[in-house]
Amino acid sequence: MAGLVYAAVRKDYGDVAALRGLELDVADGELLVFVGPSGSGKSTALRLAAGLEEVTAGTVHIGTRDVTRLAPAERNVSMVFQSYALFPHLTVGENIGFGLRARGVPRGDTVRAVEDAARIVGCDALLGRKPHELSGGERQRVALARALARRPDVFLLDEPLSNLDAQLRVDTRAELKRLHATLGTTMVHVTHDQLEALTLGTRVAVIDAGVLQQVGTPAEIYERPSNRFVARFVGSPPMNMLPAALEDGFLRAGPFAFDPEVLRLGSRAAVEIGIRPEHVAVVRSGDGVSAIVDVVEDAGSETFAHVRASGTRLVARVSPGLALEPGATVRIHIAARNLYIFERETGVALGGIRR
Amino acid sequence: MRDRDTRQLALMLAPFLLGLTVLIGVPAVVTFGLALTEYDLIRSPRFVGLDNFRELWDDEVFRISIRNSLMFMAFAVPLRLAGALALGLLLHRRFRGAGSARTSVYLPSVVPDVAYALLWLWIFNPLYGPLNLVLDALGGPTPQWMTDPRAAQWAIIVMSLFVIGEGFLVVLATRQSLPGELYELAALESAKPWYVFGRVTLPLIAPTLLLLLFRDTIFSFQATFVPALIVTEGGPPPYATTYLPVFAYANAFEYLRYGYAAAATLVMFVVTAAIVYVQYRIVRRWRHAFVV
Repeated sequence: MAGLVYAAVRKDYGDVAALRGLELDVADGELLVFVGPSGSGKSTALRLAAGLEEVTAGTVHIGTRDVTRLAPAERNVSMVFQSYALFPHLTVGENIGFGLRARGVPRGDTVRAVEDAARIVGCDALLGRKPHELSGGERQRVALARALARRPDVFLLDEPLSNLDAQLRVDTRAELKRLHATLGTTMVHVTHDQLEALTLGTRVAVIDAGVLQQVGTPAEIYERPSNRFVARFVGSPPMNMLPAALEDGFLRAGPFAFDPEVLRLGSRAAVEIGIRPEHVAVVRSGDGVSAIVDVVEDAGSETFAHVRASGTRLVARVSPGLALEPGATVRIHIAARNLYIFERETGVALGGIRR
Repeated sequence: MRDRDTRQLALMLAPFLLGLTVLIGVPAVVTFGLALTEYDLIRSPRFVGLDNFRELWDDEVFRISIRNSLMFMAFAVPLRLAGALALGLLLHRRFRGAGSARTSVYLPSVVPDVAYALLWLWIFNPLYGPLNLVLDALGGPTPQWMTDPRAAQWAIIVMSLFVIGEGFLVVLATRQSLPGELYELAALESAKPWYVFGRVTLPLIAPTLLLLLFRDTIFSFQATFVPALIVTEGGPPPYATTYLPVFAYANAFEYLRYGYAAAATLVMFVVTAAIVYVQYRIVRRWRHAFVV
């Protein structure tokens, strides 16, 4: 077992920079999740760790070994691909044992390792089947079993859940987390799904346009996003963003006004404020800014209302008991302590109340 | 809507079906009929029953030509398949000059048969042909390609080994359609090249190779015709490169024995069908290993 360290890792494809100086230290035994939109460089980061791509600059260490120039085979890492990459002509057992046989492990030892690995992920009843006889979830298990049969230093998981249907994805997510807890091996997981990242990772690395935006525990990422991108990317529905400016001693954003003293704004005037949907308080009547309900999305356990307050649009999480209907007039209140504040130009988070 | 689809489909298929009928179907039926007659283009055909086949059975030249054709098949088909496989796997990667390399593999296949044969006639020339000059310079043997029976048979096989463009393309396309992740995974699992070839690539392109095997077997009878006619003229004596199509050709157009030639063609058809059937039976036994 070992950690994984990226030091100033850069990857260019011709003129296009896929990764611009990644600095990241994945601790031994950690489950780190790379999350970002497609084309952000998250898969590239994983493939560089695997050695399937060569770094343009920088180094990659696994444990204390510098693996930057080592071939994939010499790195002792396993990978699970989005497509699972099972060999269609081999049985499940042969698939799981592929790496061991390729390394010349004797047949008897291979069989034992295959059975162990299959038992851990719960596919030991499938060993004699061919991949085309399996469901998507079963294939996913087989790919996992193959990855762990060899007991690698690091697991690399490239969007392994994205080909599963929604229910199975949630189940498998939990199993993956349990598997990590059982094995205690370093895992690096790539996903474009922010919810998956938050629920799965011990730490989450948000990446965009080849630049690491923020690394932290799921709570840190959600509660203290370091910039506008992270704030908008993490959380669903995304954070409401409103341009704001100091006017007559108040920080005004559309119809809303806040006391700048409380926000410790300093001298910065051109800012943007962010409010999570759960922090937009909606009531039928009473204090607050008047608004009209546009759309109501009832998602069972949660209800979201899209509202308009004199030209400013917001999404709010409302209590289902409110029974809102489109066209209804409501009152909105936003507490200053729940505000996120970003520099308008750069998007960098400023020291709001929450920091 | 459905009616229109059907009509459109029929219309688009029509030219092909027409060609198939006129150029393949009708001549095949005529051949079946002619095989039971004696016909010299001048007098009208005379029904002779199975006489032609009885005569073939006793015909020394016919037996030689069958043996020659089978020998050609036995060597040329596996060698051609191996060549297409090796070149397809060698050239599927992108590298500088890959395009020109692929083109040069395919190029001989677009040269017209007769021009190709004439070219080899020059290459095989024992006195000034480049092949023997090179062999001589390397200190190798310099066979008399045109006059030594064994050498002439090899010459025909060698000629066929350079027109593997279609097989090459099919292998190339099949290899390129295999998912890259399988090979990335093999690389991560430190599988050596031969292990990957035997355990991954070969099984996955086996269905394509089998298809090529059947196709090449069928074509191998016909592939000998132009070279044997132009380069070796059925010789060297007595009948070293008289293959089945050459035999049929000579009987039809030199001796004007159309009925006899038709009977020989029919035997060729039956032999081909029998061989492909046997191949299919053998393959079916271990096919389950490759089902994807």
